Amino acid sequence: MPENGTNRRGFLKYAGGAAVTASLAGCLGGGDGGDGTDTPEGTDTDGTDDGGGDGTDTDDDMELPDFPVTITQGNMPSGLDPHDHRETPTDVVMLHVYEGLITRDAAGAVQPALATDWSRVEGEEAAQFQLREGVTFHNGDTLVGEDAAHSINRIVDEEVGFASPQSDQLAGVTGASAPDETTVQVTLDGLNPIVFSEFATYCDIMQRSWVEDRSKSEIGQTMNGTGPFKLDSYTQDEQVVMTRYEDYWDDPAEVSELTFTSAAESSTRVNQLLQGETDIIVNVPPQEVNRVNNSDAGSVAAAPSTRIIYNAMRYDVEPFSSKQFRQAMNYAIDLESIVSNVLGGFGTQTGQPTLPEFVGHNDDVGPYSYDPDEAERLVDESGHAGVEIELNTPVGRYLKDLEIAQAVAGYIDELPNVSASVNQRDFGSLVDELLTGNIEDKPPWYLIGWGEATFEGALVMTALLSTDGALTSWSNDEFDSLLETAANSTGEERIAALEEANALANEEAPWIFLNQQYSVYGVSSRVSWEPRSDERIDAYAMSQA
Amino acid sequence: MSLARFLIKRLLQGVFVVWGVVTIVFGLRVIAPGDPANVLLPPDVGPEVRQQVIADLGLDQPLYVQYWEFVSGIALGVPEGLFNIATGQPVGGLGLGTSLTTGTSVASRVGRSLPATLELAIMATVVAVVIAIPLGVISATNRYSVPDYGATLFSLAGISTPNFWLGVMLIIVLAVQLDLFPTSQRAIGIPGVVDLLVSGQLVAAAEGFRTWLWYITLPAITLGTYFTALITRLTRSGMLDELGKTYVRASRAKGLPDALVRYKHVLRNTLIPIITVVGLQLGTLIGGAVITEFVFDWPGLGQVLINSINSRDWPMVQGSLIVIAVGFVVVNIVVDTLYTLVNPRVGFD
Repeated sequence: MPENGTNRRGFLKYAGGAAVTASLAGCLGGGDGGDGTDTPEGTDTDGTDDGGGDGTDTDDDMELPDFPVTITQGNMPSGLDPHDHRETPTDVVMLHVYEGLITRDAAGAVQPALATDWSRVEGEEAAQFQLREGVTFHNGDTLVGEDAAHSINRIVDEEVGFASPQSDQLAGVTGASAPDETTVQVTLDGLNPIVFSEFATYCDIMQRSWVEDRSKSEIGQTMNGTGPFKLDSYTQDEQVVMTRYEDYWDDPAEVSELTFTSAAESSTRVNQLLQGETDIIVNVPPQEVNRVNNSDAGSVAAAPSTRIIYNAMRYDVEPFSSKQFRQAMNYAIDLESIVSNVLGGFGTQTGQPTLPEFVGHNDDVGPYSYDPDEAERLVDESGHAGVEIELNTPVGRYLKDLEIAQAVAGYIDELPNVSASVNQRDFGSLVDELLTGNIEDKPPWYLIGWGEATFEGALVMTALLSTDGALTSWSNDEFDSLLETAANSTGEERIAALEEANALANEEAPWIFLNQQYSVYGVSSRVSWEPRSDERIDAYAMSQA
Repeated sequence: MSLARFLIKRLLQGVFVVWGVVTIVFGLRVIAPGDPANVLLPPDVGPEVRQQVIADLGLDQPLYVQYWEFVSGIALGVPEGLFNIATGQPVGGLGLGTSLTTGTSVASRVGRSLPATLELAIMATVVAVVIAIPLGVISATNRYSVPDYGATLFSLAGISTPNFWLGVMLIIVLAVQLDLFPTSQRAIGIPGVVDLLVSGQLVAAAEGFRTWLWYITLPAITLGTYFTALITRLTRSGMLDELGKTYVRASRAKGLPDALVRYKHVLRNTLIPIITVVGLQLGTLIGGAVITEFVFDWPGLGQVLINSINSRDWPMVQGSLIVIAVGFVVVNIVVDTLYTLVNPRVGFD
């Protein structure tokens, strides 16, 4: 941090945040002052001391460090209601204050959070969660089953709250109830093999009475969760400041104050990191990696994300209706070179719609090899030699999207029997064409990306490749049948069906399989943190370097 | 024509200009690609829900109905036919509607960003005037000398340097390498400083003002460089023009000191057209700060505009554009009024 002037954080502290910022929505109200829990000793407000599940209450006499951290994303959250958004930057802010019943670790495995046990209910289309005892909201009140049930209903049932844009994230969940104070029962509309995957990724738990006492607008301006950080102040579109919640059910965070800011321009974020004005930045572009790594201020850390980048080819129009032609397009491109040269190594080659970390990935299926001779032969065999094709691509939406598209079209254009070019598209208008629900409205050949935070390959394939998928460009009866099998089975049978579907997709080549996008972060040298695949920037996992 | 009649006439003209802008802004929304429903909804919702949202937004109405509701909403501050998706309630408030992405009032969001943009535009103007006028005078009074060539070179460089490049360079050199300024953002605004002053926290207010200056320096230089170059050129040519006039020779012949002739008479006359340009440019800077705000992460109207365009948040785009247009019109009226007051030869005609 520069020494020769007052920095932003320092100044706000100095002058008193309330006086300086114009529209602070305020600290958490009500119970904060009255709960008598402002001690790090970990005595719960209701007198219970059950150890928070992990038996990791704060050690007596342990001095919590003063360790402020600032995270700069590309955008600020659209609001603070955890059930009223669909964006990753908002989600990253939310996860520090609100928690789900279950969660995922950095490797994507399901872990307990506010629930310690979960299971399907024998003989019923339902699932049950057993709540952790002694969890308190930031206003000091204890979490009970009614809170969790109401939160689920607020998402899936318009009558309970509002039309949440997250209702499809709990697809197959029809409602929830609380048989007792520590149990939540979720009703399903069928087998729903991915119900626990959904709850491990989505559904933040809010306090029922807190929600019901506030207007929708108020809920979007303040926060009251159970997470390791509690809201200190919020200035819409400028910053969110949180402080460590010392009565957290697990160990208190090492980070004492957490500030979220945003800078849409990537070079601005990089400069902020180099100057010590922020600690974590998102989306460091490949050309800036050396500048960050060569500085003392920090370094670049990358992790494979849950987003796959691909070129869809519409199965119902020539030349892409030919399987040989589609395979030829895959053989024509040197994907290894694209990943290393265009993406600077920040990507993984793919050869199937399911990413390696996802359920259903087929380890026996690899990417297509670079074989221009085979590509030329297959094009001739398809009967489409001499064809001219145009790749529609958004610009700036995904890491190096235009450059990837240009490289793909360049390789294909090098084939003596195909001419390829790139058509740069406005993302909004391209998405409009993709979302009409009518395959005829889609461009014949386009680059797009798809992220799926549940780690479920079935959801990716259903949305993008099944005949009725929201963004589909393909129709294949055998493939649809395999997805149907997976949707109505569990365990090994389900996995086998998904793996077979991936092998079939590789063989039929409905896409030019491109790369798994990486999340590339700049991390200050004062912070120790490992990035995760699910794009969650978890300050609770940060420690002083 | 009296001042009152002049003002009424200009205000009426301003209303028509704003109406024209409102119409163009509405037209832009109609022809622009990107359906707001796609921004609000996940990709796999059914067509019924999509249709319902389009209906809730009023986008299924005939264009003339949408136009009428839009214009009347702005003029009268009544609901615009748009609905807040989150609450299902009709949009009311000050007539600029509710953001599609955040569900909050556009007027309040735009109103909160306006001071940041005004601060930047005014500071850029101050930087420009403080540097350009002395430079132009030195250049004109030392014609074909080293200072004149230097000022000319500076003007040429200033006019031809794109401000996004200049901003990034200033950040890299003065903030990152030399550690003299912060790279970006705005720690505190003038309203915050005033709040501190009013509440009697004088030391904090002084510190706040210093912080504000520290943060605004690089963006103001970036935004003001082109303007500085322009005013330098104008001052130089204006001074040269005036210096050749007979009243200057007469003054000198009367034995007036050269400095008095230059600064009291010549410069004063030179400043009249410059005031007009400064005023007009101030209006331009309010709308033209978009790139500078983006580079410096300055939380002004430009940032709001870019973010809302990216998210197809049309009420926010419209609100920002209308406020910028109104700002431009108001500044023009003020400048025209001042001009006639400063230069009595120009009447209120």
